[in-house]
Amino acid sequence: MASHAASHHEVKRYKGLMDWLTTVDHKKIAILYLASGLFFFVLGGIEALLIRIQLMFPMFNFLDGQTYNEVLTMHGTTMIFLVAMPLVFAMWNAAVPLQIGARDVAFPFLNSLGFWVFLFGGILLNLSWFLGGAPDAGWTMYAPLALREFSGPGNDYYLIGLQIAGIGSLLSGINFLATIINMRAPGMTFMRMPLFTWTTLVTSLIILFALTPLAVGLIEMTFDRLFDAKFFNPAGGGSPVLWEHIFWIFGHPEVYILVLPAFGIISEVVATFSSKRLFGYGSMVFATSLIGLLSFMVWVHHMFTVGMGPIANALFGVATSLIAIPTGIKIFNWLFTMWGGHLRFTTASLYAFSFIPSFVMGGVTGVMLALPPADYQFHDTYFVVAHFHYVIVGGVVLGLFAGMYYWWPKMFGRMLNETLGKISFWFWIIGFHLTFFIQHFLGLWGMPRRVFTYLENQGWDLPNLVSTIGAFLMAISVILFVINVVITWAKKPDAPGDPWDGRTLEWSIPSPAPEYNFRQIPLIRGLDCYWKEKMAGNKEMTPAEPLGPIHMPSPSILPFIMALGLFISGIGFIMSKYEFENSFLVAIFHSYAVGILGLVILFVCMIIRSLKDDPGYHIEPEELEAKGAKA
Amino acid sequence: MSAHSHTDHLPAELEKATLEGRNKILGFWLFLGAECALFGTLFASYLALRGNNMGGPTANELFDLSIVALATFILLTSSLFSVLAVHEMHRHNLGKVRFWLAATVLFGLAFLALEIYEFVHYVHEGHTFSSSAFASSFYSLVGFHGSHVLFGVCWIALLVAQLGRKGLTVVTGPKIYVAALYWHFIDVVWVFIFTVVYLMGKVG
Amino acid sequence: MVHNETSSQKIKRAPVHEGMKNHYITFALSIILTALAFFAVMNSDLGSGFVYFFIVILAFVQAILQILFWMHMKDRGHLYAQVTFVVAALVLLPIMVTALFWIWW
Repeated sequence: MASHAASHHEVKRYKGLMDWLTTVDHKKIAILYLASGLFFFVLGGIEALLIRIQLMFPMFNFLDGQTYNEVLTMHGTTMIFLVAMPLVFAMWNAAVPLQIGARDVAFPFLNSLGFWVFLFGGILLNLSWFLGGAPDAGWTMYAPLALREFSGPGNDYYLIGLQIAGIGSLLSGINFLATIINMRAPGMTFMRMPLFTWTTLVTSLIILFALTPLAVGLIEMTFDRLFDAKFFNPAGGGSPVLWEHIFWIFGHPEVYILVLPAFGIISEVVATFSSKRLFGYGSMVFATSLIGLLSFMVWVHHMFTVGMGPIANALFGVATSLIAIPTGIKIFNWLFTMWGGHLRFTTASLYAFSFIPSFVMGGVTGVMLALPPADYQFHDTYFVVAHFHYVIVGGVVLGLFAGMYYWWPKMFGRMLNETLGKISFWFWIIGFHLTFFIQHFLGLWGMPRRVFTYLENQGWDLPNLVSTIGAFLMAISVILFVINVVITWAKKPDAPGDPWDGRTLEWSIPSPAPEYNFRQIPLIRGLDCYWKEKMAGNKEMTPAEPLGPIHMPSPSILPFIMALGLFISGIGFIMSKYEFENSFLVAIFHSYAVGILGLVILFVCMIIRSLKDDPGYHIEPEELEAKGAKA
Repeated sequence: MSAHSHTDHLPAELEKATLEGRNKILGFWLFLGAECALFGTLFASYLALRGNNMGGPTANELFDLSIVALATFILLTSSLFSVLAVHEMHRHNLGKVRFWLAATVLFGLAFLALEIYEFVHYVHEGHTFSSSAFASSFYSLVGFHGSHVLFGVCWIALLVAQLGRKGLTVVTGPKIYVAALYWHFIDVVWVFIFTVVYLMGKVG
Repeated sequence: MVHNETSSQKIKRAPVHEGMKNHYITFALSIILTALAFFAVMNSDLGSGFVYFFIVILAFVQAILQILFWMHMKDRGHLYAQVTFVVAALVLLPIMVTALFWIWW
């Protein structure tokens, strides 16, 4: 009965801007995440340059202390929440359904909602610059510095902006878990999934359990700041250390949320450009799962100096050191993949190959930090700053760049220019090491973190200058990358379906991927399934179903409106604390009317979504024949 | 074979008959996993802060176990009603499904009424949201649970209305199943709330 | 649209509708476990350490009963739900235990 109605149902199809605002197609959502992530990357990068300029010379007056604190907080918050995570979601959306032979994710509507909610959260966060000052208590927002008593309105934007954006991350985690569990093509058992899909699965599990503690922490601090609760305020019996626990129970798994997808990308890119299958697939799966599990058991290593005592510190120090083991397994497996392989050097593989030593450098300083007695020396110095930039920039960002160059043809039907790519790679890698390597020594020589300036003649002057020069090299790299993106966009979309002689399923379909992904769901006959078919002499995958009408989900404007409702609500609650002169503004904000209105919009949209069934639409076989290989 | 005869064309387990239905159920279980972490964090905050009442009333002084016992019984019974609703869904009895869901909503509202009465009473005793860390964490934990009950009540009420129009189909089946899962989940959370907050509060 | 059951579901013909008997038993047990916990607390003869331990165990037993029976976790096709909940417990346990230890030290 339902299918009978669906094929007669006329569904609105949009073009242009409305197409992008209403899309539930994972491929378009990938592009939306990519564009937003790259935009915020430029923003966060400018914030980084401002920091480095201020620190270029001792006692420099480029930024005052308050502004510096705001730039610093926003740099970290932007890079983690508005750049790294969205770019990870971009890669997931671009590649995972194609890698498992699915036509879309399990919940296309929620996929779109996740994106819009992230974007509005990011916009809310950045509105703070114009509405009284950005958040200024560091991306870790420790109490009591972050409470009302010691800070302005900026921190409310952090709390509520991230609350809203965090909902998006949770939705993506649930979506990809359900997709990978339920929607793999016939024959794709778990142990035949590509490594990138595996890391997506484990990362989604981490997101599932790590994002809600963050949500609780944020809401508790929001209650403290907006409604005079006493969670973290010692004057009311609250506990600042409680904030640290809650934040880091989220915060540590968060960094594995960032790095595991990068590991997945590296596994794909290293194998493809070594022209050799990934070494030790089973142990890679095991190591990924173990890292995911252990990531929840180490959070106190961010709090060694808080006073929990030697036993607690020792337990968590040991647990932290243990994580190095599965990570080491992965490193060796990548090296063994490259050994004896026919290495091809493209921009993607340059990023991937350079990831290995860079990330290892970050990892070993992590093991140094894992030892509580040593950490008492390193804590809150530039040594920590060096460590996490090595693992994040030398790990996550290198991995993301590799993934972007690798999957760009599949997403856009065009290849990024290789010459420009390689030049920008060299600026990036040299600039990165120049900026951060010296910071290890700055930390060991005593320079604390989060300081807006320093006295001269402590031996810190030249290293800081060198570090800043490195930052400018990275800036040049980003400019070249942006130029590359623009000139590529202007090219004809004539990239081949399989430009890299790939091994996994996404390379078996045209570039860019057609709207319906696969004309017929393929039959999976082994690991590296596309390579298997190639070795058997087949040009294409064997289909697992006859040609038939393909059911597609309908586009919808509701996710955009729901996210807008949350945004309005956030503004409403934040502004309830503002001192306005205009009595009308006072009336509507102090009564929480705007805050409640936003929530009403959200709930009305949820009701509409529940009441209106979405039958979707069908693409008929005749259209598929006519379209041939193009979208 | 199943014990009851179906003269209609609907499959036995409505909620699992389609990929969309199976996805929704899996997705919802995953969401409940995340909610476990959410309530777990709220519990941890409460456990950490419950001793800090800053001279205000203590847990032992405030809580009245007879009201809590009544509220527990009401919520537990409403959870049983939702089980009955799913059972009737498997027997394709639309009328009985709507009846048991409506009963669930009614008892859910009774639970909320008791809780609101309880909170108003506490505020008069000097136990407000801002009075201490104990108070903030108490109202947040129990209040979050209560807001989940409120959301569930609205959701199931809407579902009862929808079912009147759409009937039992492979599209509405998963909705009923998922709503019942949600309702059971908040009952399980309440088991821990009355144990950790109220009973432990009385023991001291 | 209605899809047929997958072949794996056809093979596992475990009983789907055992009727309401188990559900009523779960309800009765839940009431009993709750009452036990309340009486343990109201009876001041018992030591507080024992009472704490006892009511927590009762809570877990009741929760498991409700999850297995009322939320159908013990039925076929719930492998992923079971795995998720076990992992959730594994994640929650260190968090809650740490919190408890941290306050009581």
